[in-house]
Amino acid sequence: MMTRSYPPTAQTRVLKWLAIAGAIAIAIGCIRAPDRIWGNALVGTFYLLTLALGGAVFVALTYVTGAGWHVAFRRVPEAMARIIPIAGAALLIALIVKMTSYGWHAHGHGDPGTFWFKQLWLDPPFWLIRAIAYIVLWSLMASRLCARSRQQDRTGEAALSAGSTRLSAMFLGVFAVTFSLASVDWMMALEPMWFSTMWGVYNFAGMIQAALAAVVVLGLLLRSHGGPLHGVFNDEHLHDLGKLQLGFSCFWMYIWYSQYMLIWYSNIPEETFYFVARTHGAWGPVVVLSIVLNWVIPFFVLLPKSAKRSGRVMMRVAVVVLIGRWVDLYVMVFPAIKSGENRLFANPVFGLWEAAAICYLVGTAGLLLLRSFAAAGPIPRNDPYLPESQHYHAG
Amino acid sequence: MSERVLLATFEHEDDLLAAVAAIRRKGLQIADAYTPYAVHGLDRAMGLRPSRLPWVCFICGMAGALGMLWFEYWTAAIAWPIDVGGKPWNSLPSDVPVAFEAAVLLAGFGSVFALLGVSRLFPGKRPRIVGPRVTDDQFVLVINETDAAFDADEVTRLLQGFDVVSTEERLTDRKGRL
Repeated sequence: MMTRSYPPTAQTRVLKWLAIAGAIAIAIGCIRAPDRIWGNALVGTFYLLTLALGGAVFVALTYVTGAGWHVAFRRVPEAMARIIPIAGAALLIALIVKMTSYGWHAHGHGDPGTFWFKQLWLDPPFWLIRAIAYIVLWSLMASRLCARSRQQDRTGEAALSAGSTRLSAMFLGVFAVTFSLASVDWMMALEPMWFSTMWGVYNFAGMIQAALAAVVVLGLLLRSHGGPLHGVFNDEHLHDLGKLQLGFSCFWMYIWYSQYMLIWYSNIPEETFYFVARTHGAWGPVVVLSIVLNWVIPFFVLLPKSAKRSGRVMMRVAVVVLIGRWVDLYVMVFPAIKSGENRLFANPVFGLWEAAAICYLVGTAGLLLLRSFAAAGPIPRNDPYLPESQHYHAG
Repeated sequence: MSERVLLATFEHEDDLLAAVAAIRRKGLQIADAYTPYAVHGLDRAMGLRPSRLPWVCFICGMAGALGMLWFEYWTAAIAWPIDVGGKPWNSLPSDVPVAFEAAVLLAGFGSVFALLGVSRLFPGKRPRIVGPRVTDDQFVLVINETDAAFDADEVTRLLQGFDVVSTEERLTDRKGRL
């Protein structure tokens, strides 16, 4: 059942070189183009943290809904959930080293006349303590959830699953509130005078979509070439993941459009400037690209049943969605980076520094996830739902 | 032309699935299977073609979305241009909700009516039930006796290996219905 030599050394070697080359280029970039490196660092660390958090949400959601279909490959989202602490630490470093990139921090607490609550909320020490609190909370709850599943591997105690369901329900409640606040603190606060009540759910939509894509990519990698999930992660699981991928790509589009349409329709300058900066000029095509990658391609490609059951198609769509997630975050962050009153990136930039950051992200994320997966048995062998997961038909 | 068929009744879905596989291995033709509920894996065991209904749904949905987009463009920008808050006459964001609704409506109705049409279901239709218990707890497999070499006794013996409850030969009516 288990192959000891996993992951293949060729795969890890490529990932290591990507990470090393990316790290060297980033180190040079810190001197040559610090603003771009910071933007990339925020995009990259938020990307990784939300991917990890998405894994935890996937696990928690399946516990509270009493799902059984996913158990055979649950170690994949668990592996993602277990990197929350390190991804969170990376994000905290990015936040701390250049807190001045947040406009409100540079000029005190925003412009005179700013609503008092916003001044209080964006007070730098409070803002930073909150960030630490979110990450610590997520880390503790997610690692507890994964630890219980590993404990069940050893003891075989079915009652552990019931406790995990209660813990998952608690985690989802905590997550809903804290993730909304976190996305506002870290992303929306880049432009402190702008606001959108769709922001939390918009970030959630992107997060869960990318997390599903990551589960697909990892699952397929781990089942290929006689990997540990060979014969475990089957086309039925893929089919259901494909349905979720298709559904959540529509959810992302729906939320994106709902946010855009209300602002476009009411046409109030204090709201529209966010989209003016992102849809006018050269940023326009980037927004269109993000819509194509996050919705148009996954939607039309994944409609047929045969596509959802094909590892080749699912792998490609998942990679497209993962790229789309990066573009989505890139459009959120880069136009917002300012020096004084000027937008530093009035036009999209893509060059060595972005490529280096992406290489570093792919390399480290791959290594972290593979290591995290290898830290436990490849399947939760004593989970009461495991037989159901191995024998069911997705239809 | 009326045809002879063999009806085999089973009490368990596993017996039905195994019998279907055995019948197909013998090269015999399965006309249909009647079950009280959707049996997982039966379509694959019978080697049925994938349903074409998703295509009907997709084409109807696209027709709804594109047709409605065109209609909104025509009404709002060509036939009777209306200035709404100074926005351009031809404003795609405002067209999306209605186009979406039209896509859902046509896709939904299209699939339902296509399904009813293909299955020849209509109000007032008199149901023809192959046996009363297929709506409750029995599974009936209908095998074509088209082949001249068809030996009903031999097939019955084969089916007894799968705990068949009863077998019965019937003639279909001229349209091939039971």
